Amino acid sequence: MNNLQLQKKARWVRLEVLEAIVKSGKSHIGGTYSATDLLVALYYGKLLRPGDRFILSKGHACTALYAIFLDLGKMSRKVYDSYGINGGLGGQLETYIPGVDFNTGSMGHAIGVASGMALASRMDRKKSRAITMIGDAELFEGSCWEAIIFAGQLELANLVVIVDRNRLSVTEAIEDDSIYRNFKKKIESFGWSYVNINGHDFRDIQKAFQTVKHTKQPTMIIADTVKGKGVSFMENNVQWHNALPSPEQIAIARKELSYGHT
Amino acid sequence: MDIRDALFDEIYRLGEKDKDLIFISDDLDAWGLRKFKRDFPRQFINIGVAEQNLIDVAAGLAASGKKVFVYGICSYVTARCLEQIRFSVCSMNLPVVIIGVGAGFSFSFDGPSHHGIHDIGLMRMLPEVTIFNPIDARSAQMSARLAHARKQPAYIRLDKGEFPDLRYTDSELREGFKKMGPLGDTTVISTGIMSQQIMKFRTKGVVDLFRLQPISPQFISQVLKKSKRIITVEENMFTGGIGSIVSELLTDHGLKIPLKRLAVKNRQFDRFGTREWLWSLSGLDMPTLQKKISRHA
Repeated sequence: MNNLQLQKKARWVRLEVLEAIVKSGKSHIGGTYSATDLLVALYYGKLLRPGDRFILSKGHACTALYAIFLDLGKMSRKVYDSYGINGGLGGQLETYIPGVDFNTGSMGHAIGVASGMALASRMDRKKSRAITMIGDAELFEGSCWEAIIFAGQLELANLVVIVDRNRLSVTEAIEDDSIYRNFKKKIESFGWSYVNINGHDFRDIQKAFQTVKHTKQPTMIIADTVKGKGVSFMENNVQWHNALPSPEQIAIARKELSYGHT
Repeated sequence: MDIRDALFDEIYRLGEKDKDLIFISDDLDAWGLRKFKRDFPRQFINIGVAEQNLIDVAAGLAASGKKVFVYGICSYVTARCLEQIRFSVCSMNLPVVIIGVGAGFSFSFDGPSHHGIHDIGLMRMLPEVTIFNPIDARSAQMSARLAHARKQPAYIRLDKGEFPDLRYTDSELREGFKKMGPLGDTTVISTGIMSQQIMKFRTKGVVDLFRLQPISPQFISQVLKKSKRIITVEENMFTGGIGSIVSELLTDHGLKIPLKRLAVKNRQFDRFGTREWLWSLSGLDMPTLQKKISRHA
């Protein structure tokens, strides 16, 4: 897919996410929209290769993945439509869903688990990588740092961590505070490669994975993103972590997201 | 033979045949482990003191076809990373075997932080975990074999030192308990080192519980239902241990059998001392134990 096609696909995913939210009355829309372009790049831009493992640690962005799985034929329409229904798809990922490599919901596990997967791949002399996407607030979990130390020490070059850096947690802004201040130096000092990209620019995202190909270290991709990206009134607004849009807002959002389709 | 060496020798034998068996140490050494480390360096990782990552990495390996044994001090490798065990290992039902060394007060003078008296209760909350509490070489070996074969989460609560052979048969180990001598009016049910202690003064009517989860139906029919009075003895907190297990089973099966529980006093400890002295604080030392058991029997 070329970049225009990827952009169009991303708009379609966002629209699907909106419809799922409207139907179910359950939302984590802001952080789903900040991650949407990255997910589209992974699944349609050939960044995830056969055999690669992927953990969407910010599993609350699962509705975007459901739409992608539906589109790629990995998930039936019947299962897709079960979102928000008792016993159906929920607000986090579970491995009973084909294509899901690890359960999500509890934060701070994915870097360690993906390190184990990357290590197993290396032990078995496979070429597959372990990729995980975490939210930027997730790095407050201490266990992430235990894993960062470990992966750097073992030089797990087949490990990629993408940070969806939308600068908003559930309740407040995460600016360049003690974690993200001097982050490049910090992460490189642990023996990692550092890449900073615009998480809404498909060319940038592709380029980041070129670095992954050549490095001998694990890679941390800081993807600068906008929470609520794609819908004007949701962008950069902390309220849209898990708010539900009003009927008027739904109409505006539909219009903005459909723009590329007409 | 030291119970740890018995366990690690068995893991050596398993790891020799199964190249997908990976051993991760929480920066902890053991005599019996050195051979494994030397002969199978590709199957051994020392992860450093990082229990949360220990379990997450184990889960990632196990989710990629490996069978992982992790080894640490039992108070840390259960409590410190309980969330990682609950979520990464148990919610995925992965073949990760946690070996916690330092059952009960076996770390004596190292103090309360090292004492393993909460681990059984913590692990029992997770139904996916099979819990073994071996107390001689034979049961230690079998715990490794059973845990490896089961391909699901397991916890092995490990003591230190040499212990007399309780003469378990393989089928008794598979059932998870052994009746020592015929049952009389009073059955003493114990686990771990307390079974060894009781065997020093009582030769019949003692049952050692080797597998604490799941409990075999045979234990209910052959032990609980055949007893007129029961005393449970453990080097563990009252809450969550074998006293809890037995009282829950009696209730669930409507068995009106008097039960006396002997365990570690229900409070946080702040004392350092020998294992025997620490026992005496809870009335688990041999003279007191002997008195209490004969009073209730």
